[in-house]
Amino acid sequence: MTLGTGTRSYLLAFADDEHLIGQQHTEWIGVAPFLEEDLAFSSIGQDELGHAAMLYEIVLDADGVLPDDATIDALAYRRNAADYRSCLLVEYRTDDWATALVRHWLYDTVEQARWGLIEGSSVDGLAELAVHAAREESFHRLHADALLDVLLQDTAARRRILAALCRLEPRILDLIAPIPGEAEAVAAGVATGRICDFAPELEAAIRARFGVSVDLSTGEPGTESRLARSADFDPLMSRMREVLDFDPAATW
Amino acid sequence: MATFEVFLKKDGRDEFRHVGALEAATDELAAVLARESYARRAEGDRLWIVRRTNVIDPGEEFVLPNADKPHRHHDGAAVAARRKAARAAQT
Repeated sequence: MTLGTGTRSYLLAFADDEHLIGQQHTEWIGVAPFLEEDLAFSSIGQDELGHAAMLYEIVLDADGVLPDDATIDALAYRRNAADYRSCLLVEYRTDDWATALVRHWLYDTVEQARWGLIEGSSVDGLAELAVHAAREESFHRLHADALLDVLLQDTAARRRILAALCRLEPRILDLIAPIPGEAEAVAAGVATGRICDFAPELEAAIRARFGVSVDLSTGEPGTESRLARSADFDPLMSRMREVLDFDPAATW
Repeated sequence: MATFEVFLKKDGRDEFRHVGALEAATDELAAVLARESYARRAEGDRLWIVRRTNVIDPGEEFVLPNADKPHRHHDGAAVAARRKAARAAQT
């Protein structure tokens, strides 16, 4: 089946978010606070990369392109920056573990809701992927919550975590802002609702988790925010392409 | 932080086997870290995670004396040799 331009853009936004957050998580391998966390966080990142690959596959399939390593890589790594639909939260560069952890919690809380919106999707393979991915997300959230349960009880750690939440706050709005093509995706039965309607639930979840209030009802940036890349995007993409660029003609 | 011993059971009728240990602050954290550290490639389908302090270890001396009781080793060699000799005597 073919996808309308809007629906394609909507799915690409999700794939790009998964791709970039997966990369951000896996960059903690070797430098996470302890060995098991190195493995756990990178493993979770790999799950997100897997979701991205499957979403790119669905887009390629609908484009009439045979999804293989080369075509998926081309879509994932070789588009112009302006053609990506990632949000600010996943592009954001951080070397601070507290920020990475809070982003992990925020992103996965919203991600699970996003899968929920497409688990009854009309697009071939998408509903199955949504069910499969949502099950993985429950483990990702368990991981983030288990760490936060412990760290939020420690005064110094709590201070760092709340500072991280403040740092990320402006970028949370972007994550739940209207996604380009979302209206068309909803009209076409690809998604059952808009992610911005998740804002009150997310506010409540943040309050319950961190004990602080974040206002997600004002300053809605609108769809324009995903149409431009932040300053962190180019360096991130260069790191991602680093090995590919050694030999662009190589078969992996 | 507490030390946890991790046991993994492969799919099917295999028994749980010790695969390693990790440190974690809580039981829940031990479980999620064990899942990603030891079972992320589906190396098994069940995990047991045990606090090391809950492992009953009576110590080396507790079993060491049993290493010196050759008369308890029934490998059947002596009986087999005697039966073989008896069969040879009959023919």
